[in-house]
Amino acid sequence: MPTSFATATPRRTASFAVRAAHLISAALAVAFVSLGAGRAEAADALAKGIKDYKSFAVERIEIALNGAKELQTAVKAGDAKVAQGAWIKSRKGWEAAEPITGEFFPKLDEAIDAWPDAKQGYHAIEAPLFAGKLDGLAAPVDRLVADLAEFDKQLSAPEFRFEAQGLLNGITKLAYEIGENKSKGGESRYAGTSVNDIYENNEGIEAVYKLVFSGAVKARDPKLDKRILDKIEEVEDFVKDKDLKSVNAAGLNKAGEELAVLLQAAAPKLKLKKPAVGE
Amino acid sequence: MALAACVAVPLLLGAGARSTPITTKEGVLPSGTELNEEPLDQPNELFASELAGGKRSYLLNLGDLLFSSPAIFGGVARQAGISCETCHQQGHNNPRLFVPGLSSRPGTFDTTGALFNAKADNGVFDPVTPPSLRGAKYLAPYGHDGRFASLRDFVRNVVVNEFAGPEPSPQVLDALVAYIQEISFLPNPKLTAGGHLSAEASDAARRGEMLFVKPFRRDAAMSCAGCHQPSGAFVDHQVHDVGTGGRFKTPTLVNANFNAPYFHDGRFDNYGDVVGYFDRRFDLGLSEGERADLVAYLDAVGDAKEPTVRNTVQAGLDEIAAFVSVLDTAIPAHNQDVIALTVNEVGGEWRELGENFPDRSDTSVSGGLAERLRARAAVRGLVLTLRQIEMASAEGDYDQAAQAFADYRQQVAVATGELKMAEPWSLLNPAIRDAHFAALKQLADLAVK
Repeated sequence: MPTSFATATPRRTASFAVRAAHLISAALAVAFVSLGAGRAEAADALAKGIKDYKSFAVERIEIALNGAKELQTAVKAGDAKVAQGAWIKSRKGWEAAEPITGEFFPKLDEAIDAWPDAKQGYHAIEAPLFAGKLDGLAAPVDRLVADLAEFDKQLSAPEFRFEAQGLLNGITKLAYEIGENKSKGGESRYAGTSVNDIYENNEGIEAVYKLVFSGAVKARDPKLDKRILDKIEEVEDFVKDKDLKSVNAAGLNKAGEELAVLLQAAAPKLKLKKPAVGE
Repeated sequence: MALAACVAVPLLLGAGARSTPITTKEGVLPSGTELNEEPLDQPNELFASELAGGKRSYLLNLGDLLFSSPAIFGGVARQAGISCETCHQQGHNNPRLFVPGLSSRPGTFDTTGALFNAKADNGVFDPVTPPSLRGAKYLAPYGHDGRFASLRDFVRNVVVNEFAGPEPSPQVLDALVAYIQEISFLPNPKLTAGGHLSAEASDAARRGEMLFVKPFRRDAAMSCAGCHQPSGAFVDHQVHDVGTGGRFKTPTLVNANFNAPYFHDGRFDNYGDVVGYFDRRFDLGLSEGERADLVAYLDAVGDAKEPTVRNTVQAGLDEIAAFVSVLDTAIPAHNQDVIALTVNEVGGEWRELGENFPDRSDTSVSGGLAERLRARAAVRGLVLTLRQIEMASAEGDYDQAAQAFADYRQQVAVATGELKMAEPWSLLNPAIRDAHFAALKQLADLAVK
């Protein structure tokens, strides 16, 4: 495994689109406050951010899909090195979308990210692929491409809309999971890219929070908003430029839990229910 | 519950993994090493206070927490998630312990290697067996070479010198010593309080008892019982050179059936090998039958009524309840260090318990999905409520911490029902466990080049 695979790509902030949309979200916060305490009005105030987030999520799933297609081509060509790179590329897109995969698409999530499962999903491919074996990979790779294509189709459908409660649930759960098995070796152990998984998970949390919730939370409780944003950065710092041997697992565990607690505290500010952290 | 039996994988991955891969790119571990499947049966741990009809003290529970916490160590050990518990599971030993470069075989560990503290490095590869701590208060001096007369000094040496931890506070040492001194020998119906065999022992064991106290034919001043004194927990509190490369203290034979491998360096797997060694070393002239009788005697002395206990939801809940009771004292005392320690360790215990309930992505397990998901959700809620306690106390808001602790207590009552409801579909069920680990092994097999 090349060393570079085990080290998260440093990227201080979310994409420009996320930052720009974050500013718009903050402006909408004024409207949120003036709307009063109604749940429906609060949801409307979050609608713009939710729409922006959908674009982000589609973009990431398409990265996952395109990576899987490259993987498919490389496997057919018998090029293990290219196939490994494509798997990692696909995986990064998937992990950044994880706030919504299990929450909104549980069946597809189960098929794509099954663990432990030697027949389907990323990990059934990962285990032999990173041992340099391509035999028998055609079927699970074809299935992965098909499942991701279906995911993309359902997500991109004009009628599909995220609900704010589900998004808050999704990022709170993911923050908790960063402090769980993900901080203790992760799932992509054969590729050695578990730190990348955590990094992209946090990017996904950051995107949802900044695009959808930050402005509204800031309008009601600027101190809480700052604590959440700082905690997201803290989680990033735990995995930035790190490999598994150098990650402070205990610190990451604590930061993940603290982020989840802070996101739970944001719920009443958003007129949402305390996020459920179960699957 | 014990930390993962194997420290090898955490070291390879650099994380305190409990659920770890069966194989890694870095290599395959020796046969006998526990990889990721913590046995369902755990060493039984009994405390003297409870055996006497009392209850665990605050100091005992705090010591138990510290014993399980990597935070008292430093450097590599802390980073790798290693704690006292790693080598002494449930206050016992760990025959599956294997640290690459520091173990000669499973169940051994070089405490004077450079990995965990360069200052401890004696330049010799000399792994020893971390001993069982059952009955430790009767077994001074401490360390295989008996260099420490005091348990407290020995514990400090482990923390500071062997594992590069910061100088422990008096409270930390008090608690660790209190915990270790409470770990009792396990009841053995074959042995009387005075160290004689009871009516439950076999005839062969009785013949062995006679040989055990019989003077050696080449030196009438010596006998097995001369060092392993039956009336004194089968020790003499001395170190002796029995030809194994130095002077080492007499180990107890009480409950020793569960202490293999034997001798300071774990060179012998069984009593037969041990008796054979002494027969040759001291020219005892034992017949085959006499050796068998001595083995039967050791087997009777070393037995225990209930050496292991099954890991269940209730066992996990009981241990967590003991640990978390520390907060009853620490929150009113505004003791932030102890609150943080407790939240981190108990949160880890809850997570470990929760990981026994496979989620939706675990396709190796069918049935009980709704129950499993509810159990996982309950555990997660508890972990986050515990974290609230720590966050509030860190801000100096002990009223809020106390409120969160009250919430936690209520949540535990609900979670207990959810966990027990889901237990049949959990990894605590041997059939489910087998299916889960078979799936993990399938993946691992795919990863073999």
